[in-house]
Amino acid sequence: MRIIVILGRVLDPSGIAVNRRVGRIFINREEYVLQPADRCALEAALQVKDAAGAEVVALPRGPLPDDDVLRQALATGADRAIYLAGDGFKGADDGVMVRVLAAAVERLGGTDLVLTGATTMDTGQGQLGPRLAEALGCPQIINAWQVSVTDGKVRAVLQQAADYVAVEAGLPAVVTMLPGALRLRYPDGVRLVNVYKGVGEIAEALERWDVADLVDADGLRPLLERRGRDFPPERERGSRVTGTPQDMAQAAANALQQRMGR
Amino acid sequence: MDFAFSPEHVALRRMIREFAENEVAPIAAEIDRDHRVPFETMRKLGEIGLLGVCFPQEYGGMGAGEMGYCILMEELNRVCTSTGTNVGAHIGIGAMVIHLDGNEEQKRKYLTPLSRGEKIAAFGLTESGAGSDAAAIRTRAVREGDSWILDGGKVFITNGGYADIVTVLAVTDPTLGGRGGITAFVVETDWEGFRVAREEDKMGIRGTSTAELVFEELRVPHENVLGKVGEGFIPFMKSLDMGRLTLGAACIGGAEMALESAVRWAKIRKQFGQELAHKQSVQWKIANMATEIEALRSLVYRVAWLVDTGQPFTQLAAMCKLYGSEVASRAIDMALQIHGGLGFSRDFPLERGFRDARIGEIYEGTSEVQRIVIASNIFREHSVRIRP
Amino acid sequence: MDASYLDLLMAQQEEVTEEAAGGGGVWVVADVVDGSIAAVTLEAIGTARNLADSLGAYVYGVLLGEDVADLAQTLYQAGADGVRLADDASLAQFALKPYLEVLSDLFDEEQPEVVMFGATAQGQELASRLAQRMGGGLIERVTAVSLDEATRTVQGAISIYGGEYFEILACPEARPQFLTVEPGAFPAPFIDDYRKGEPTVLDVEVVEPEVRVVGPAGEFEPPQVPLAQAPVIVAAGRQAGDFDTVKQLAAALGAQVAGDRGAWGAGWIGPEQIVDVRGVEVTPGVYVAVGIRGDTFHNAAIEGARFILAIHPDSDAPIFRIADLCLEADSKEVLPALLERVSVFFRCPTL
Repeated sequence: MRIIVILGRVLDPSGIAVNRRVGRIFINREEYVLQPADRCALEAALQVKDAAGAEVVALPRGPLPDDDVLRQALATGADRAIYLAGDGFKGADDGVMVRVLAAAVERLGGTDLVLTGATTMDTGQGQLGPRLAEALGCPQIINAWQVSVTDGKVRAVLQQAADYVAVEAGLPAVVTMLPGALRLRYPDGVRLVNVYKGVGEIAEALERWDVADLVDADGLRPLLERRGRDFPPERERGSRVTGTPQDMAQAAANALQQRMGR
Repeated sequence: MDFAFSPEHVALRRMIREFAENEVAPIAAEIDRDHRVPFETMRKLGEIGLLGVCFPQEYGGMGAGEMGYCILMEELNRVCTSTGTNVGAHIGIGAMVIHLDGNEEQKRKYLTPLSRGEKIAAFGLTESGAGSDAAAIRTRAVREGDSWILDGGKVFITNGGYADIVTVLAVTDPTLGGRGGITAFVVETDWEGFRVAREEDKMGIRGTSTAELVFEELRVPHENVLGKVGEGFIPFMKSLDMGRLTLGAACIGGAEMALESAVRWAKIRKQFGQELAHKQSVQWKIANMATEIEALRSLVYRVAWLVDTGQPFTQLAAMCKLYGSEVASRAIDMALQIHGGLGFSRDFPLERGFRDARIGEIYEGTSEVQRIVIASNIFREHSVRIRP
Repeated sequence: MDASYLDLLMAQQEEVTEEAAGGGGVWVVADVVDGSIAAVTLEAIGTARNLADSLGAYVYGVLLGEDVADLAQTLYQAGADGVRLADDASLAQFALKPYLEVLSDLFDEEQPEVVMFGATAQGQELASRLAQRMGGGLIERVTAVSLDEATRTVQGAISIYGGEYFEILACPEARPQFLTVEPGAFPAPFIDDYRKGEPTVLDVEVVEPEVRVVGPAGEFEPPQVPLAQAPVIVAAGRQAGDFDTVKQLAAALGAQVAGDRGAWGAGWIGPEQIVDVRGVEVTPGVYVAVGIRGDTFHNAAIEGARFILAIHPDSDAPIFRIADLCLEADSKEVLPALLERVSVFFRCPTL
């Protein structure tokens, strides 16, 4: 069985300071972390591998300046990782990535399961997994808490309101994992040292493919464009609500409703 | 000169920091309060290979060198000195002697499970009459056929209460002293004649086991002699040398913890209408702490590089430990002052750091011994031989 | 007297016919929750209305389900000019493939300019798949929109790092433009009770879902989130009044229960639930401080909270200096009323 895991990285928000008043973002410490939801996807893949045996292949979620993300995946237990290189690839959006990833899957010779994070920590977008499922023509299960494979079927646990349900689909399928859904394993020390030093079998498991071999220049043009930034109003502390206890309760409820997105 | 850490060390640090935050920090207060050794942490560290961080991969280690070990010590001690000490005694002195002086068979039999954390090691040197004066040990080893019979005991042995393997130094020829009369042995703690007498109730690092060991007609097979008979003192001292470097690394962590805590508190705490961060006295303390930490960091990692590249390091390693322990003590003290009454409260982690830091200037060679080592090395370069 | 002709006079008839529109339009796919149109769908229609007015286009609603024909009127009342209705037993519960095929056929024919969904699980699944199938761009979880009239491009703002700032994205060329709308980000539209219309009923070919529900996952326990990482916290202090009400509020919000040292002293919480620099430091998206006066040590521990709601009877309480919304009142009076109003909430899995 082959499982593909799609992983991306994101700037660590604790190193960023946003000044709302002047509308500027200051990067005080430029450090990247793996997308938390993608790490759950990798953990889920490794759990399936532990239980049922599989080849776990790591692919990138977006253009990367270096292969650190893939190395981390190998150190944690992936069998293969493929770094996608190419200049025309910069600024790719999910639409472009799906074309690239679908072509990569084809070049690999297909897959039984694709796992990735349900949402990105920075932009809150969850479309990569479902888009890829459409491109591969297979079923999708999104926002999973748990995933397992038995008898050629994938089973997942999803949340519906306050309950949890088990769902099932045939393979191949795409499953997206919620961040924090699983307890993450640490990389193996020996694998880590070898993969970063570039020695041993594990170092050969990291491959490098050119995006131009997968998708032509037209296909690399993004659909979405960045049109600028906006900043929320400055945080106003100490704003008092006046009126009867009922009025206060209503104002508080409205604020909570807005904050928690119902 | 390239001061950048190599990629595997950057990745290693990231992994250890996450481990420290998730596995070590949450129980740090509890193990100190309950005087409990966190066996579960040792097991988790072993599972991912960290208990053999500097040992060769062919003996179950990670092969990340002294640099990797220093990083491990820094990151662990940043959150919990007790855990760092448990690990340090296991890797840096207990197992290290086997790595430095063991033969192929001993390494395969002992170093491999130690590297994997399947067994835990301790370093059996100190005795009630032999602290700084290590050569004054009295534990006796007498040859009897193809074994040695050990009689005597050790005190203040870290990990002593639960170790599986103890590397022990014993006198084999009382007439020869340090040169030719002292031998190193690998002792398995479940052997007849080995006993843990008592645990020390300590001021700090209360999440560690510091035990008194007793050997009563303890039979040790001859194949467990490390190196040559009579030449055990040198590898033990070499182990201590390397241990000094990594203790310096541990002190970076402790001092950093103090600095971070102090900076954070200075930003939050307001008195007389201003945050503490605006007061010069606080600013100067912070600046002093930060400067010393940077100096220590540069020293420690340079010495780690010297070790990993096979260059001489004894004198500099002693400086690491000497300076490191004093930097950590000063930093914690200044941080405590900045926190005021809060720092003195047992509900706040700083007082634990304060109690834990004090041992730094004492164990694995007191600051006095370090100064003697440094001075005698310097004078030797000038052809003056110092007798301690 | 039969006044029904008055109703006819006041009612606005549906104006749109298939021919007049000729494609385009701003379409909103409705979420049906507990037998009614979800609030987020109405918010989307309100927004669609504004966009459509500027574009000179029509707003269409799409309603899928079983026995949901009546709900079509709600869509008209919220501002839709036309509604497409797919009513079939196979659509009773949301399932991707059956819903997708209906929408895919519909949109292939209608060629919308903009398609909007609520940012719900249903909306996310459908929007992504449709966007991929139709070659459109998708902006998810939009919190604000504006229109680039020259190119008829919708510019959507998305929240970065949970609201630190917003990025504005647009899909200038590919059509349709797909958007999912963050619940609660847009105002509810004006509901015109006199607006009504006749939905167009779509043919539904029964399609088997690819993912089937096996049953409840009884033995599944979600991982415990430590208090330090809890996204929503309700904390009690000495002036909280009835601690049971506090716990009920927490349950209604899907929040973890905590308190200050006073609450611990009162025996309401354990030491691992104390929010204090000497206890646990927390970084929730929402922190509700009920009856907590807020000394330095407590307040320092909630530095990382994104939104703080504080209830306390004393106007001098230090907590009011750092709280975003301050209710100077007796918890015993405000809390029951607040609990009543939030009881309609269900848990929010991500914040």
